Amino acid sequence: MISRPIVGMGAVASIGTDVDEVFDSLCAGRTGHHELRGFDSTRFRAKYAYEVDDRPAPGQDVPARATRLLTEAIAQAVADAGIGEDLSGIPVLIGTGLRELRSAELWWREGTPFTDAGLHFGTALRERFGADVTHTFSNACSASLYALALGSDLLEQGETDTVIVAGVDVLTESMFGLLERVHPVAPDRVRPFDRNRTGVLMGDGAGAVVLRREDGGRKAHGRLRGVAVNCDAYHVTAPHPEGIAEAMRTAYGLAGIKPADVDLVMTHGTGTLLNDEAEATALAEVFGADAGRPLLTAVKSMTGHTSGASGLLNLIVGLRAMNEGRVPPTVGLEDPVDEAAKFRWVTGEAATDQSMRVAQLNAFGFGGINAVAIVEADK
Amino acid sequence: MSATIVVSGAAVLVPGADSARALAAGPESGAAAVDPAAIVGKKGLRYKDRATQLGYALAARALADAGLVGEEGTTVPASSIGVVASSNYGNLDTVTRALDTIREETVNGTSPMDLPNASSNVIASSVAIRFGLRGPNLMVCNGPTSGLDAVHWAITMIQAGRVDRVLVLGVEPDNEVVRKLTGGRPSVDGGAAIVVERAEAVQERSGTVKAVLGGYVRTAAVRDVLDRLAASGQPARWEVPGGAAAALDAELLPGVPRVGLPESAGEPSGALGVLQCAAAVGWFEDGGAGAVYALAGGESADASAGLVLLAPGAA
Repeated sequence: MISRPIVGMGAVASIGTDVDEVFDSLCAGRTGHHELRGFDSTRFRAKYAYEVDDRPAPGQDVPARATRLLTEAIAQAVADAGIGEDLSGIPVLIGTGLRELRSAELWWREGTPFTDAGLHFGTALRERFGADVTHTFSNACSASLYALALGSDLLEQGETDTVIVAGVDVLTESMFGLLERVHPVAPDRVRPFDRNRTGVLMGDGAGAVVLRREDGGRKAHGRLRGVAVNCDAYHVTAPHPEGIAEAMRTAYGLAGIKPADVDLVMTHGTGTLLNDEAEATALAEVFGADAGRPLLTAVKSMTGHTSGASGLLNLIVGLRAMNEGRVPPTVGLEDPVDEAAKFRWVTGEAATDQSMRVAQLNAFGFGGINAVAIVEADK
Repeated sequence: MSATIVVSGAAVLVPGADSARALAAGPESGAAAVDPAAIVGKKGLRYKDRATQLGYALAARALADAGLVGEEGTTVPASSIGVVASSNYGNLDTVTRALDTIREETVNGTSPMDLPNASSNVIASSVAIRFGLRGPNLMVCNGPTSGLDAVHWAITMIQAGRVDRVLVLGVEPDNEVVRKLTGGRPSVDGGAAIVVERAEAVQERSGTVKAVLGGYVRTAAVRDVLDRLAASGQPARWEVPGGAAAALDAELLPGVPRVGLPESAGEPSGALGVLQCAAAVGWFEDGGAGAVYALAGGESADASAGLVLLAPGAA
């Protein structure tokens, strides 16, 4: 059984510039929901998103925002871990849905400078941190948990004593537009698992963690117990409950736990019609008689869909929740869909004074690529 | 102790070379573009971008070469085959086309069929769906070293016990957007695929070992890559990045023949590392012996990666 300490964390999202602020915002039910900040909104039916407010002026977009959020999250995580900013020789694994495609869009339409060296994050991470063992995985919305699985494998195989895993995404016009295009009515906000949800809206965000083989006497935020990854091989955009359930069971097997050991589920919960039903169906099947036991929440109700970053943001929030005994609510969840009705959702206010030891993190991506991680509080 | 990992199948589709041996000998110049429909039929190609269509054709050839597909689909359990695909330019055409439509006609002018293609992992996931491959599915978009990195992650997932075998694809499409990005240079408009597999698993299903995989390194300096690869054996042949051969220090690996794609083959980008592996397989098939070093990246890139391939007898 693996048990690797997570000794550093960093996060940036629409609702906060570091882990403290992100977690406090989530527990307070504050959302990043706002009118489009960087795009010409006359081009879209959907008018809202969950963006980081860092443009020089409203409506004026700038390149390399994903890189900026990523380097910020990594800088926070390595400072938290006390390992310094020279990352040469340390594997840095980045999960992302959209890489620097927003910079490519601005280059294509506005003519801002861009080369193919800027599509992946290695170039910027070499400049900033001297990092040379960098890997950009473009694995849709499960990207950062896929990266976590691979980082965990490197530790198990003795390739390294330290690995940094990160996730990042910012809105692209093409993805924002095509995502709303497939909804009959443009989504207005993200309401995971609610009967009246209208779909998904994107959010900006980045998260990073430092994983080590041994904690070296340093207080850890928690421990990674296992990450399962698979592929439904079913449909390019529709999820499949069977493949999702299989990923959950594999994760429990890797961690050596039973469903009844899970205290908290940080759901993928995108607010799309298809994901939420498939995810709830899989959870109901896997938890069976224990469905009423763990607490569940969906933080995309406040961060929007941060795509490749979302799995790792779930991990960071989940660890923090267990350490503080507080679980953020699922904002906008009032009337759960039938498949999700039997679960213990945190709604309205944050749940407090909770005793939790094991959290499950879900992330599922286009193409049916599923990732489920299990983390344990380090108490 | 780590398991021996081998290459058990290979395919190449670039203009002027449609096999590992043809690639090793050097692709003919001035050849026609690859036609995926001629290999996998037209069915299911509509709505798929060029990179995914090329990926389908490469996957069909490589899985067949490895003996992993029969009349009824895969000959081994679906969950025992993973996919790792490498591409940097893969979906730039879809992204820019959708963007142009949004700007010029609003979002109402876009096609919902473009949604999956806007996600950069569409090559890896589409191949999994078409061939029913339910193992881990990974898209590597890691710049010039991407292809060799993809092979490394296939090896890592097999060593970790996640999967027995992984179809590794490296593919780059050529189009107007790519040419604008590369300063006018066309991309290779094709690629390669290899099946990376546990040696024991190949033996169990009476497959054929085409090459044995040795060490992999990614680090800043080319010299350090080569030093660290030396643990896997001294090279008899050195696959260098196309066009960059002249830029590599002449003192590196003295006496070892340097081979690479001709400049006329176009920019291989994310396909390079997988093309190099396939070329090594082709060289072994033609009787080549000794270790092959593959190098991608270089001093002008964010880092360099290297991989060692050994002849089948080394298993």
